Amino acid sequence: MSAIAPVAAENDAADLAWDSRGNPEVLTFAVGGETFAVEAMLVREIVDPLPETRVPGALPLVDALVNVRGRIVPLVDLRAAFAMPPSAVTADRRIVVVELTLGVAASLLGLRADRAHEVVTLAEASSEDPPALGMRWPQAHVRRLVRWRDDVIVLPDLAAILAPALGVAVATD
Amino acid sequence: MSTEDPTGVFRAEASELLDQVEQALLDLTQRPDDAALIDSVFRGLHTLKGSGAMFGFDALAAFTHQIESVFDRVRKGHARATPELVATVLSARDHMRALVEGDAAPAAGEAILARLATPADVPDPALVASRHAAASVATGAWRLSFRLPRQALAHGTNALALLDELRSLGDCTLVARRETIPPLDRLAERDCYVGWEALLRGNVPRAAIDEVFLFLLDDMELSVAPLVPSEAGARPAAVPVAPGANGAAARAARGAQAELVRVPAARLDTLMDRVGELVIAQSRLTEIAGDRHDLLLRSVAEEIERLAAELRDTMMVLRMVPVASLFGRFRRLIHDLARETGKVIALETEGEATEIDKTVGERLFDPLVHTLRNACDHGLEPAHERLAAGKPATGTVRLTASQAGGAAIITISDDGRGISRERVRAKAETSGLVAPGETLADAELLALIFHPGFSTAGAVTTLSGRGVGMDVVKREIERLRGTIELASVEGEGTTVTLRLPLTLAIIDGLLVRVGTGRYVIPLAAVEECLELSTEADRRSVGRCLITLRDRLVPFLRLRELFATDTAPDPHQKIVVVANRRERIGLVVDQIIGSHQTVVKALPPFHLSLGTFSGATILGDGGVALILDVPRLIARGQHGRGAMGEAA
Amino acid sequence: MSASILTVDDSASLRMAIRIALTGAGYAVTEACDGIDGLVKAEQSRFDLIVTDLNMPNMDGLSMIRALRAQPAQAGVPIIFLSTESDAEAKAQAKAAGATGWLVKPFQPEQLIRVVQKVLGR
Repeated sequence: MSAIAPVAAENDAADLAWDSRGNPEVLTFAVGGETFAVEAMLVREIVDPLPETRVPGALPLVDALVNVRGRIVPLVDLRAAFAMPPSAVTADRRIVVVELTLGVAASLLGLRADRAHEVVTLAEASSEDPPALGMRWPQAHVRRLVRWRDDVIVLPDLAAILAPALGVAVATD
Repeated sequence: MSTEDPTGVFRAEASELLDQVEQALLDLTQRPDDAALIDSVFRGLHTLKGSGAMFGFDALAAFTHQIESVFDRVRKGHARATPELVATVLSARDHMRALVEGDAAPAAGEAILARLATPADVPDPALVASRHAAASVATGAWRLSFRLPRQALAHGTNALALLDELRSLGDCTLVARRETIPPLDRLAERDCYVGWEALLRGNVPRAAIDEVFLFLLDDMELSVAPLVPSEAGARPAAVPVAPGANGAAARAARGAQAELVRVPAARLDTLMDRVGELVIAQSRLTEIAGDRHDLLLRSVAEEIERLAAELRDTMMVLRMVPVASLFGRFRRLIHDLARETGKVIALETEGEATEIDKTVGERLFDPLVHTLRNACDHGLEPAHERLAAGKPATGTVRLTASQAGGAAIITISDDGRGISRERVRAKAETSGLVAPGETLADAELLALIFHPGFSTAGAVTTLSGRGVGMDVVKREIERLRGTIELASVEGEGTTVTLRLPLTLAIIDGLLVRVGTGRYVIPLAAVEECLELSTEADRRSVGRCLITLRDRLVPFLRLRELFATDTAPDPHQKIVVVANRRERIGLVVDQIIGSHQTVVKALPPFHLSLGTFSGATILGDGGVALILDVPRLIARGQHGRGAMGEAA
Repeated sequence: MSASILTVDDSASLRMAIRIALTGAGYAVTEACDGIDGLVKAEQSRFDLIVTDLNMPNMDGLSMIRALRAQPAQAGVPIIFLSTESDAEAKAQAKAAGATGWLVKPFQPEQLIRVVQKVLGR
């Protein structure tokens, strides 16, 4: 593909939680042995697994749809963005439904979670930018890393992760 | 712009006709029984009357009518073209000339008519009859029984259109009566044998029914009777309002002709959402009822299904408006653009009766303005350039609307210079969109035009170079769940094709299964469903064409397209879908049945796949994808494409 | 594409009025100036609809309708004739000859379009 200049998606909005004073609340959940977190204010609900409809031809990142209370919600599989193998089906699986502004309109997304943990309050002081080197994952997919108890919580950059699926060409650095 | 003046043409034509009449009249003085001459006079007068009335020469038409009546008697042998009569008609002819020129003295005309002493004009009995019919009062429901004249189809009557027209009058249940169809060996191909019974509800005036059959009334069997109350009672569903309310409803219907209610669009949207939810809940109810052997439950479920469908249809109609009003707003724009650019521009429009959702129409206005501006400003050349290129001086911008497969198609085309690939590339390279010398397919190159900030205008003019580019147009169209395509031939012109959902609402769909997945095919696009015989299936392996009734139809195996890994059903079905020009077969595992489909937007991630136009929720709560038939047809026509190549 | 309509009338002004009305509504219009011209044009290309006057020199509308209906290729092509209200007899003849519908002169462009749409089934 041609080297099209990166489009400044509205992912600035996702940083708001960190810019405000105080301690942002996040929901933590497990995917492929890692702990991820999204701002609690983005979370609409957490639901049990639902019958999925595969979308032929779609990227593995968003290849299924579910019906959440009459709304059609795409399922986002963070494993695809973080190069993780599929994990075993367990009774703990959940769908974390978040509302995100993609482009112009607010969309509901269902994040596949092996388990939903809890809502915790993070301290900005214990967070850091993702290191430029030494990560197994694409740097652009991680917004922040936060130390929490003995764990490191990954705050994914959903806008950046989903950009390829939106047909927005992003420069590969 | 049109410089034609029908009135001027009429004056010139009338002058010729009057000369022709004069010559024939003069000849008649020599040969008073010459039928050809009499005919010639009659025809001249007749044309003069008809055209005169068309172009507002009412006095001329009325006067000529009197003279024509006299001459009709001569033509039919009831009177002779005596020298006196010819002389009077000659003076009448002079009076007509004065009427055409607009300097006639009314008294002169009266004097001539007095000399002819024609009997008073008798009104046309057909007109009287229809007036009488119009006066009859509407009732709550009509029972109709009718059969078209045998020759109706051969004589060009579109029976389906008539039935549609009848349905459009109100809630209409139609049943075909086939018992009159003769055995095959006595069947004449073009004859119409079927009769129909219909129940028409909803305060339809009797005259409106006659209006449907206007051209056939004299020759067809038609009985129309008000539905008697006992009969209505036999089918409680048939009368949606209580008998007492009927009169009020009828009065309301009569008043409604003049009375319009303005409703904020948002309220219609809310109502539409509720209707959508109702339809989903209803299909769940129907499924539950289908699983039980409770007849009462089933009949209630059917009743609710019918009501939901009616509500849905009513809702759709409320929101649909013809694009004519939208298109009408562009005449002035083109006029102004022509003045601003100094170009000669003609706007042609087509398909203005095409109806689209009101909101879609409103939101289309700005994108269309931008696109038309581009066509006039960048597309069309100045007159001298066009002439040098061997084109007519007048540049033409065409705006068309049509419906195909549940979508509204709007095209904006010009016969201008087309898009210069060279300039697009140069511009893209200077703005860093592409690397110098990078190989790009033509489509990729053209697609750059939709990139934000791209503009090919050599010089910024007041019209297009306002920083509003095709990227904005594209974004707006995509927000409407539409698509935009660009085709351009250098030197010949550019066509922008917009494909938009007709409505953001509900469609009739055919539910099919491919592997374990369920999909909806918009019923409007479905031509027929048939079984793919094992033999045809086997023969078709390795090619994507199948013979259907001596027609070669390309087909797509959806199992392959969707990379289905389960075993295929033994008897594959083929659903033939068509848009206006092309048809293809879609091979599926199973046809489940028809489905009222509440169209939900596809998540933005799946729009670019080009396979699905939306999604819907089924009665069991599952999600089914709605196939994008026009794009599948395009894909089928260009050979099979693997999924994902469009992404 | 848009429906194509053949209009047959000896009156140039009426043809023009019809053409302006129909092209304005998005139809493609071909003109013929009498019955013979109409027959020839109808044979050259298939039309979705024919609008014809009845009174015309050389070959009148009735004869043209009969000649068209005699051709298998033209069976089923809708034909609308233009009549005046005094033409009750002509109307009956034209119907018998195979006309599909009619329009009474004088008419407004909208009336013409409505009849065309009715016959074409939009």
